[in-house]
Amino acid sequence: MNYFVKGNPDLCIGCRTCMIGCVVAHEGTKIFQMKPGEYVFNPKLDVVKTATITIPVQCKHCENPACMNACPVKAIEVVDNTVIIAQDKCIGCKTCMIACPYGAIDMVKASDGGKQQDGSDRIIANKCDLCNGIEGGPACVRVCPTASLKLITEEAVETSASNKRTAAAISLSQVKE
Amino acid sequence: MSMGVPEIEDAKLLFIFGYNGADSHPIVARRIVKAKQKGAKLIVVDPRITESARIADMHLQLKGGSNMALVQAMANVIIAEGLADQKFIEDHTNGYEEYKEFVKKYTPEYAEPICHVPAEQIREAARAYAKAESSMILYGMGVCQFAQAVDVVKGLASLALLTGNFGGPNMGIGPVRGQNNVQGACDMGALPNCYSGYQSVTDDAVREKFEKAWGVKLSNKVGIPLTHVPHRVLEEKDEKKKIHAYYIFGEDPAQSDPDLNEIRETLEKLDFVVMQDIFMNKTGLQADVILPSTAWGEHDGIYSACDRGFARIRKAIEPKGDVKTDWEIISLISTAMGYPMHYNNTKEIWDEMRSLTPSFFGATYEKLEALGSIQWPCRDESMEDKGTPYLFTGGKFSHPDGRGKFFATEWRPPCEVESPEYPYSLSTVREVGHYSVRTMTGNCRALANLEDEPGWIQMSPEDCEKLNVKEGDLIKVYSKRGSLITRVLPTERVRPGATYMTYQWWIGACNELTTPYLDPVSNTPESKYCAINLEKIDDQAWAEQYVKDSYESIRKNMGIDTAKKEV
Amino acid sequence: MGKQVLTTCPYCGAGCQLYLNVEDGQIVSATPADGRTNQGNLCLKGHYGWDYLNDPQILTKRLTKPMIRKNGVLEEVEWDEAISYTAERLSEIKAKYGPDSIMGTGSARGPGNEANFVMQKFMRAAIGTNNVDHCARV
Repeated sequence: MNYFVKGNPDLCIGCRTCMIGCVVAHEGTKIFQMKPGEYVFNPKLDVVKTATITIPVQCKHCENPACMNACPVKAIEVVDNTVIIAQDKCIGCKTCMIACPYGAIDMVKASDGGKQQDGSDRIIANKCDLCNGIEGGPACVRVCPTASLKLITEEAVETSASNKRTAAAISLSQVKE
Repeated sequence: MSMGVPEIEDAKLLFIFGYNGADSHPIVARRIVKAKQKGAKLIVVDPRITESARIADMHLQLKGGSNMALVQAMANVIIAEGLADQKFIEDHTNGYEEYKEFVKKYTPEYAEPICHVPAEQIREAARAYAKAESSMILYGMGVCQFAQAVDVVKGLASLALLTGNFGGPNMGIGPVRGQNNVQGACDMGALPNCYSGYQSVTDDAVREKFEKAWGVKLSNKVGIPLTHVPHRVLEEKDEKKKIHAYYIFGEDPAQSDPDLNEIRETLEKLDFVVMQDIFMNKTGLQADVILPSTAWGEHDGIYSACDRGFARIRKAIEPKGDVKTDWEIISLISTAMGYPMHYNNTKEIWDEMRSLTPSFFGATYEKLEALGSIQWPCRDESMEDKGTPYLFTGGKFSHPDGRGKFFATEWRPPCEVESPEYPYSLSTVREVGHYSVRTMTGNCRALANLEDEPGWIQMSPEDCEKLNVKEGDLIKVYSKRGSLITRVLPTERVRPGATYMTYQWWIGACNELTTPYLDPVSNTPESKYCAINLEKIDDQAWAEQYVKDSYESIRKNMGIDTAKKEV
Repeated sequence: MGKQVLTTCPYCGAGCQLYLNVEDGQIVSATPADGRTNQGNLCLKGHYGWDYLNDPQILTKRLTKPMIRKNGVLEEVEWDEAISYTAERLSEIKAKYGPDSIMGTGSARGPGNEANFVMQKFMRAAIGTNNVDHCARV
């Protein structure tokens, strides 16, 4: 099962620490020594606020990813239970962005500073990669001050489902026929 | 705050009034969320759907500027329905009978048309507040930044008195103070009426103590508050009563104060302006002398948190440039003026302060080192005195007779209200990722990446539709005092007719619009209410260019070599 | 080798404790500490709000030298000149209009309690007025 980060709107205070945490995790703390404008600031999640809900929205790492199926150059693949966009393969066609039912993909300037042949910036698809390869796991989960974000793994889902089944069994046993 | 931040999560009921913790103190808001998780009831009074309002059991979405009416309507219900704590009132308070008489008129039905909150909702909130095992009030600038502010604070305190919500853990009344060390500046006597530890300058015994320690005669005349400076410069006719010199230390009135036009004129008219700060700012542009100081991270000291908690700050890096610590600069000037002051480190200053301030005497550097944080009062140097988590233990108050005093008065509307020419109300609010006048956070890469000029105006979707504007559009906002350009942010969280702007922006500087009306007691300006109008800008390309050019010109004025890089 | 310096966050009044991680005399990151109020948590300002110390000049520029306005223009001067000029002008105004013609502010921001204590002492003992206040009101 692919993993994903799930937010809890009862705990989220909309502070957006997660969005900066995401950028710093991916670009590295070196950005604090660079000139503003010389690095990219592309959070891979976005805090959404409605009248009743506040929660970051990010890739769900679907089991049958619409983005992956739509990608014409096979730049999107599943690695380590994570749906990942291979930056070097992406041609910036935006198909995945349109295909994604969660609006979790946007188009950004490539963070490696790569250019096209005519010297203009390479624009590529950007989305959550669960901080693949980054020590400590998803940065958004780590920096959230209200612990509103959780990494949902297969184990977590199974434990939760198993707990729910136990609770169901107990409640069912109390039903007198 | 009468209680400590950690206690918030253990209150049985939180009554949050004009306080948006999620944006102003996320780490305090975290305790509010935890309280809710632990089963506390949450009642929020705010004209906006704040994060706390969103998860609240009850949200009283009152009209801005009607606080006093709501507070007294709650008191009315508590008394009328027999929910008051008669024993606490008898044992610990004064003035109950007059209070009871006064709030009689403030029935929920009387308050409803003023507050735009249904009478039944006010009743429910009052019942819940009175009946909970321990109720805690948290309030913020939504109470303080009105011309009727101190009245409301006393009114809220009266609710706590009425229900016996003082003197134990997880209750009381908490003004959650905005800036990192606003509590500390007050604690240290950067106030016109008192020395450190709130010791009055008009108390002869106190003054004599300071005179003896400092070896000089001290004035017994209360000084003037900061917000009176423009008047004392621009309108005072008597040369002897006029303010001629202004020594501004670690503040930027030309950005933070209301009615910026008036502030600029004030700075212009002053004979001598000293600015002591870490960054060039708008005040600096009008200063006669600029004294560069060390910043947080470059010097030692102590801050006071909003819950009276002293904690150390420590030097981490060497400052760059020819700068000095603030206390050294002031000491040098004092010495040059013939009053020698010399300290080798902050501990020496702290020890002098402690020796003159009984309520802080026990909070030594050594103890802070060991405990991390100490909430005053802390009177004894021994390790046994670890400070005071909550005030008024056992219902003993700071009035001379140890009793709390009830307070009621008539509700007054805001000084400037909507009119045909200015049909919208504007309230200033906070941006979570930025701080105060933004000289610090505006120069932090990631924080500036997240939000930058010209800022936003929060408007209801209905108003956006009426004006035919959409998210991100630049829009002109103007009041009787000034005008600016900012971006439209449609949100269902505000009511039609009401708008909100965060006060950090320099291009979208909402203090160009705000009024200089003050609360008569606290002298705090009415930043939470003024009347404005909005005008759609048809030529968006022109407006975008205007914002870009304005930013460049600000940066250039601030001494940045703008040719070197683009924004 | 780097060091960790325990301090209090300079933003808002929550009093969060954090470590500044310093390498080669420069702050490289901040880590939450287990403080009384923050229990190992920080918000975005606590995590990423130390960066102004590197003076990236996004909005304004760090002040690095005293300045005096001469013929309408701010000019860099040495400390001795800045201190004696300030002292002279303040003394002059005090002599001419009295101590209550001078207003001073404390700072609710970075400087800290000790600097505020020294400032109010200076206004009260050296200038001779209680005209000292700070931006708590605004």
